Amino acid sequence: MTATSSSRETILAAIRATTAATAKQAGWLDEAYQGLPRTYNRIGRLDRDASLNLLIERLREYGAGIAETTPEALPDAIAAQLASTGKRRFAAPAALPSNWLAPGFEWRVDNDLPTGEIEHCEGVLTAAAAAIADSGTIVLHHGPQEGRRLLTLLPDIHVCVLLASQVVETLPEYFRQCISPPELVTWISGPSATADIEMTRIKGVHGPRTLHVILARDN
Amino acid sequence: MTPTGQPHAELDPRFAPPFPQAALPVLRNPQLRKNVAHAIDIIQAKRGRLVDEKDDWQQLRSAASAIRSHVLENLGAYLEEFEARCIAAGGHVYWATDAEEARRIILEILRQEQASEVIKIKTMTSAEIQLNPYLESNGVRVHETDLAEIILQLGEEPPSHIVVPALHVNRSQVREIFARKMGLPELSDDPQILTAAARNYLREKFLNVPTAIGGANFLIAETGGVAVVESEGNGRMCLTLPRTLITLAGIEKVLPRFDDLEVFLQLLARSATGERMNPYTSLWTGTVKGDGPERFHVVLLDNGRSRILRRPVERQTLKCIRCAACMNACPVYRQTGGHAYGSVYPGPIGAILTPQLQQLHHAQSLPFASSLCGACYEVCPVRINIPEVLLELRSQVTNQERGQTKRFLDLLYLGLRFANFLFASSRRFHLAQRIGRIGARLVTRKDGWIHSLPSIGGKWTQTRDLRGLPDETFHEWWANRKKEAQ
Amino acid sequence: MRASLFITCYNDTLYPETGRAVVALLERLGVEVSFEARQTCCGQMHANTGFRPEAFSQARRFVNLYRDAEQVVIPSSSCVAMMREQYPTLFEELGDETLRREYLALIPRIYELSEFLLDRLQAEDVGAYFPHRVAYHASCHGLRQLALGDRPYRLLAKVRGIDLAPLANVDRCCGFGGTFSVKNAEVSSAMLTTKLQDVLATRAEYLTGLDNSCLMHLGGAMHRQYAGMRTIHMAQILAATASCPAEVVA
Repeated sequence: MTATSSSRETILAAIRATTAATAKQAGWLDEAYQGLPRTYNRIGRLDRDASLNLLIERLREYGAGIAETTPEALPDAIAAQLASTGKRRFAAPAALPSNWLAPGFEWRVDNDLPTGEIEHCEGVLTAAAAAIADSGTIVLHHGPQEGRRLLTLLPDIHVCVLLASQVVETLPEYFRQCISPPELVTWISGPSATADIEMTRIKGVHGPRTLHVILARDN
Repeated sequence: MTPTGQPHAELDPRFAPPFPQAALPVLRNPQLRKNVAHAIDIIQAKRGRLVDEKDDWQQLRSAASAIRSHVLENLGAYLEEFEARCIAAGGHVYWATDAEEARRIILEILRQEQASEVIKIKTMTSAEIQLNPYLESNGVRVHETDLAEIILQLGEEPPSHIVVPALHVNRSQVREIFARKMGLPELSDDPQILTAAARNYLREKFLNVPTAIGGANFLIAETGGVAVVESEGNGRMCLTLPRTLITLAGIEKVLPRFDDLEVFLQLLARSATGERMNPYTSLWTGTVKGDGPERFHVVLLDNGRSRILRRPVERQTLKCIRCAACMNACPVYRQTGGHAYGSVYPGPIGAILTPQLQQLHHAQSLPFASSLCGACYEVCPVRINIPEVLLELRSQVTNQERGQTKRFLDLLYLGLRFANFLFASSRRFHLAQRIGRIGARLVTRKDGWIHSLPSIGGKWTQTRDLRGLPDETFHEWWANRKKEAQ
Repeated sequence: MRASLFITCYNDTLYPETGRAVVALLERLGVEVSFEARQTCCGQMHANTGFRPEAFSQARRFVNLYRDAEQVVIPSSSCVAMMREQYPTLFEELGDETLRREYLALIPRIYELSEFLLDRLQAEDVGAYFPHRVAYHASCHGLRQLALGDRPYRLLAKVRGIDLAPLANVDRCCGFGGTFSVKNAEVSSAMLTTKLQDVLATRAEYLTGLDNSCLMHLGGAMHRQYAGMRTIHMAQILAATASCPAEVVA
């Protein structure tokens, strides 16, 4: 939109007039950025087991279901978890391992599913990108095994498969392990909630009201 | 009158009454004061527990402050980087010098999209530019999707807090609003049921309205990414379901790198709502094929920010990440809630930001709406020294008044000028004390106290007695003691 | 040891008994107290209301008067906070380099009363006797800007006969705020009422503190409301002994 290109120049000129007019050699901004003080905790303190237990505790605190299993027993654990929901119609990202799609359920695999069909799914099964124990956060990067964003938004139940090796203790550790910034991220720390009516915390406004995590200990 | 019994408070700083005046009806509203105190106590307790459990809280604050200061020092470079990356990722970027231009740009985008209605995620910035009435008057229906915003929109109420905007409204008031506007006469006032009613009401909008407008908590320069932090999930709905997304963001919202979120995401939720992490935080970069909007527009808003950047002391105002911790800690805000500030930005941050965005042409009473207790500075996650900025703005406002004739009618102004004259000489000061002592005897009661004073003194005595002036000042006692010793 | 007493403009006029108590207390602890007769005001009221040139002229006068003082004791944390926090800005904006350097040389020698007693005299037990139930009000300037910490509590704990009652929400502002109490009198009064609820709940006889400004505001409401409690500056508690009880005025 050309109309704002002059506004762009006006704003940038106004900003430059105020900020330091020192000679800008290549990389000086980077140097200044690297020099910023960071004395907060960059790494956690818990060992793997304690971290996993913390994650489980946090998930339980906000009412998420959590089932532990092993990588070998994963398909059975998934089937059992799905059965426990009492629901039948589940959405799934296209690249989920086929043995995760337990028999006896109506699977809607997302090969460009229309929104209306996703809306009519009762639940969704996905993998995850990571989890942060300290805050009980599930992280989705919406890759092929996690599905596009609305897949984990519209259905009311989200069954999420997490490997123990994907769990870190703290938020900075999550960022450390990202090789490069993902294009899409959703950090989920509990069901949606509001405290807008008299500060009474109500869970489940929009988005899945139930989260089940299946934690496969792949030590 | 609105359902909460409030006269429709004006949140336009150009027209709002001065703070002392605006506070009066609020102070006389027991329900609002109870709701505000209740909300604040809950958030403060939660925040306190989480801050105590974090042994690197002060270090996080220091890092956040340093990162934000660094961004402001290099704002031009980071904005240009953000713009380039965002465009490379498929977004469109626009620059708006002021509110009017931002509104026009957004309307033009909507016209291009042939959008006659929009769904909206709460954003303070859109309230700052008064976007909703502008769009409505130009034939675009705006559907707010945050629960509090629906309550306020349907109930025709202005917000009173940045993070919990409807905290002044109680459940029966909400029930009444929803029953009326959603056509649900049998609705109960159970917050669970009210929330479910809102969920159903909004579902239809999310699935069918193809254009959304929202804000941004952070813009990531390194990637062109945008981060939105929320609790209810309406953000996720608006960010992924529509075909077109428009993000309005103040130019100060930018952070250098994706990794910097590790600092701010730890500080924001704890400061704002007393949680380790809020339920949903979303980050997206431009447009992504097959996932979310096909068209993404970012409108970068100046509206006075580049001017604030110019001022060495006041520049720190722009470090703000809109967590509202300051107003939760503020003993003044506790008594008045947000409406008394006459601005979409209330509380301590509002007291410094609003007058500056108005270039001190308006809202001059806001820098004085503080007892300078410093609680805000203590809790601010990015270490904005709000009292320091308040004092600077007070000085500027007073200097403004020096040039005006109305100052001759301001007894406090004249009194302070006179006091300064007295303090310049101990002889003058001591003489004034003696004269004052004689005068005070006229209004001192038998119990040795003054119960009533005229004029500006009456502002004190309307609720407090004042002890009568002692017969001897300290320095007179000292001089006598010295004499007696000799 | 010698110390010069800066009494503050409002203590001089309204609370001379606090000054008398400071003198009695310091002399009892072996300090030779002097008093600069030409002192007036530190400029806080003006600085906080936006009158910087006026505040500057008072600040300059203060530095000129006390330039050669060995050390200065001030029974008012807000005045000390003014000197530490706002004088630098005033001298930078309106002063000259010489004045600024004189200020920088002087400021380490300025003490709020509890700082002087504990940091300079190392006197936690000052030999006081005050057999009453007392609550301590932590003024915001002392709490936050001076970071007095546990100094007041350590001093009060050693007072014989005292019954120290904890005050809920001790870090919440009482609403005085200087000219705020008049410019925003109604809000100030609302804050006062909220604070008074916590204060009266202590069932103490006395509310004490290190700033007569806050105490004037709280005490004024106590008196108006026949609340059955009074205010007293901590200097007067610390100066009190069995043979010389505290001077309680009205």
